[in-house]
Amino acid sequence: MFMLFEAHPLLLVLFVLMAALLMPTIFHFRRRLCGAAALLVMFIALLISLSFVRLTLEGRVLSYAVGGWPAPWGIEVLIEPLSAFMLAVISFVALIVIFYSVSALEWEVPEAGIGWYYTTFLLLIAAMKGMAITNDLFNMYVFIEVAGISACVLIIAKGGREATEATFKYLLLATVGSGFVLMGIALLYMVTGNLNIDYVARELAMVYPQYPHLIWTVLSFFLVGFGIKAALFPLHVWLPDAHSSAPTPSSAILSSLVVKIYIVALLKFYFLIFGFELLDQLLIRHLILMMGSAAILAGSMFAFAQLNLKRRLAYSSVAQIGYIFLGIGLGSPIGLAAGILHIFNHAVMKACLFLAAGAIYRQTGEKNVNKLQGIGYSMPLTMGAFSIAAFSMVGLPLFSGFISKWYLALGSIEAGIPMFVGLIILSGLLNGSYFLPIIWQAFFVVDKHEPKILTIDKLPFSMSASLVVLALVIIYFGVWPQLPLSLAQKAANLFLP
Amino acid sequence: MDIYFKITANYPYFVAMVLFCIGIYAILSQANLMKKIIGINIMVNAIFLLLISSGNIRGGIAPLQEVGLSTEQLYVNPLPAALVLTGIVVSLSVTAFALSIVVKINEYYGTIEVNEILEIRSSQ
Repeated sequence: MFMLFEAHPLLLVLFVLMAALLMPTIFHFRRRLCGAAALLVMFIALLISLSFVRLTLEGRVLSYAVGGWPAPWGIEVLIEPLSAFMLAVISFVALIVIFYSVSALEWEVPEAGIGWYYTTFLLLIAAMKGMAITNDLFNMYVFIEVAGISACVLIIAKGGREATEATFKYLLLATVGSGFVLMGIALLYMVTGNLNIDYVARELAMVYPQYPHLIWTVLSFFLVGFGIKAALFPLHVWLPDAHSSAPTPSSAILSSLVVKIYIVALLKFYFLIFGFELLDQLLIRHLILMMGSAAILAGSMFAFAQLNLKRRLAYSSVAQIGYIFLGIGLGSPIGLAAGILHIFNHAVMKACLFLAAGAIYRQTGEKNVNKLQGIGYSMPLTMGAFSIAAFSMVGLPLFSGFISKWYLALGSIEAGIPMFVGLIILSGLLNGSYFLPIIWQAFFVVDKHEPKILTIDKLPFSMSASLVVLALVIIYFGVWPQLPLSLAQKAANLFLP
Repeated sequence: MDIYFKITANYPYFVAMVLFCIGIYAILSQANLMKKIIGINIMVNAIFLLLISSGNIRGGIAPLQEVGLSTEQLYVNPLPAALVLTGIVVSLSVTAFALSIVVKINEYYGTIEVNEILEIRSSQ
């Protein structure tokens, strides 16, 4: 089976896409089987993605011409280290989130909508996988729009005032963002006459001195377009509403994967088309660096001010996205590798935190962070996983968040800007200031009059199990980070020759 | 004077950019949700105009493969038309989805003006 997918890598996207459209049918005939079918699809996708990871670690790059039309005319699909990395991350996190939602979903969305919920979920996964592997500008735009609309459907799935309003805001800004991206693609097509990224890069290297203003325009359009979609700091206004009002599995997948895939697309566009030297000369790199640092500080401060647990987590995403942009802006191989590695680490951590927040809300009905006293005794598994993910966010050693922060610090020293080491330490303290009080209250603030007895969580098996798996993954990759790190370094070397 | 000749020679591009700015302005400044959706459509159509006009040649015809294509005849680039066709489908679905959300918002609040919605939310 792996041979087939290695010969035709696009089948991976088509497989998930077709499975997505089958979900309502399965739901119609066998209500209970729908979640299991989605789980099976994601498990197969994860196995195939891991086989791609193995191939790219051996140094192979898979190239596939869709429909038999070779590169400059047809659409090209390329499996290089970064796409294999993203495929594996997307499949893994989506697998765990689907496992969680098998028993959580009937509580979160209306009964009749469950089949369609899985459809949009798998559509979103397929679109993100497509964005990770495509090597064609316009194909990228189409996948961006598919991902954007299905993400909106996932937010509005629960219904209700807040979710509807947040969805409209997100849809409006996402459309503006993809409009900017399409404008950039149109301008690039006008000067190069190609849509394949390699050919555009080759053509642009010859003609760019003739169009200095156009290069500026295209670069800034891409930054604004993908910046809105990836919630880079001053353009993040839609994120807290959308991520906090969505159903729990949607918030987890939106916060851990959807914002990251746009960063990957931006990386591909910037580094493969324009090249690092042009970005450095035009000061775009420095702009990204400034916006990233502002995101780290402002996101943490906004998060500190929030009392709703999911809103606090959503603002913390804004800060963590800042780390990834910081890694991109540093422009040193280690810094860029750390930024790419943080895509994986943050995806696992934030999925764990959001799923834990959903589990807390399900058992206690509590959203306010100041009313979680003693909850560690009634929900030890959930709060244990929450604490591990929160420690990892703060950047304590032995957790995966430490690895990416450590390499970011090394990268900033390598790039000759040691000031950012201080920023990383400061932001670690800020993260601690809004995560540690929750953990402290949960385990150590106990009402003296009615002492709590340690009882196991009253949650369905799949919810607790997915939280525990995510927590174990955080510890495993905090102690043995070689696999994602070597892949991230390979990807970074591709972008910075 | 130089810039005037540049604009008149490439007036479709100029019009496209002006329309793009009008669309963005409408999205950001209008309080009515319907007008925001109209703004989206103006913005996206400006991009389509830019793409189509970049592939157009004055006096060119559609590149249909018939018996005996003449080498003197100019042909219009068909690729931007194909891209715009895809783009129109995408923008149609976005518009349809946005309109259905506006219907929902109107059910919840009884209005589609942003400032009135904010008043209702703050009074609760």
